[in-house]
Amino acid sequence: MIPKAFKRSLWVFHVNSGSCNGCDIEIVAALTPRYDVERFGIKLVGSPRHADVIAFTGPVTKDMEEKVKRVIAQAPEPKVIVVVGACGIGGGVFHESYHLSGPIDKLIPDAKFFYVPGCPPRPEAIIQAFAKAWEYLEEVEKK
Amino acid sequence: MMFPMFKQLIVQMFRKPFTNPFPAKYAPKSMKKFMEDVEKGKAKINPPVEIPDEETFRGRILYDRDKCIGCQLCIKVCPSKAIEFKKEEKKIRIYIGRCIFCSQCNDICPTNALSMGNEFLLASDSKVNDELVVE
Ligand code: SF4
Ligand code: SF4
Ligand code: SF4
Repeated sequence: MIPKAFKRSLWVFHVNSGSCNGCDIEIVAALTPRYDVERFGIKLVGSPRHADVIAFTGPVTKDMEEKVKRVIAQAPEPKVIVVVGACGIGGGVFHESYHLSGPIDKLIPDAKFFYVPGCPPRPEAIIQAFAKAWEYLEEVEKK
Repeated sequence: MMFPMFKQLIVQMFRKPFTNPFPAKYAPKSMKKFMEDVEKGKAKINPPVEIPDEETFRGRILYDRDKCIGCQLCIKVCPSKAIEFKKEEKKIRIYIGRCIFCSQCNDICPTNALSMGNEFLLASDSKVNDELVVE
């Protein structure tokens, strides 16, 4: 059972698992007055326990693997992860690095993933992914 | 002293907000219903911020199959190895999920089979759907 409160505002926890910071800046750009996702009630929160959706960037370095797993285990069900950027999706420019254990969907098989291609993507594409995540959560809620 | 401020206030009241209302001005009651309405043509998605320059904008790659001669130069130069060679047909397949939109493959292609499009709203729940695999 998912509470009704879900409906109106998505709270987002942002995880950086070794990205170059480009996508993190675009996520912040989506929060600026130009794009202003807070008008939908979407905002960044400080703890994964409060999060409806996880915004995930980076290709998961070996150092971050355990920490990422721990963070995502703390997020409430259903786990919805928005993977922002090419390096989170399939390694991107870091694909041949010796120090990766990602990408994330290999490590967390039972979550629902939304992908935003681009390096970095434009803020609208990130907003679009959140709209899709929102739609998905509404569907799960009905069941 | 009051008047400059007064003028500013009036201007502010009629100026359009700086915020770009993509995809809708306020959160719809139900996102699913909103999306269905958009498909039926009942609701409209507000357009995203205009792209700076159509000529140089780097969106999703467009691939002209007939022009491609299968020289594999694009595969050699691609920094994220987003391009795969299809041996039997001597054509390529581009995985947009991996692509970093650098346009180096466009520059090196001897027959100009590749070009950068303007599409950038590519979010989806699959890595390899029709939108994200160009062949
Ligand atoms: S996708 Fe590109 S811009 Fe985004 S974090 Fe990875 S390397 Fe940086
Ligand atoms: S734009 Fe860059 S990353 Fe994308 S396919 Fe071409 S060379 Fe590879
Ligand atoms: S460089 Fe151009 S012609 Fe050569 S394989 Fe790539 S797309 Fe085809």
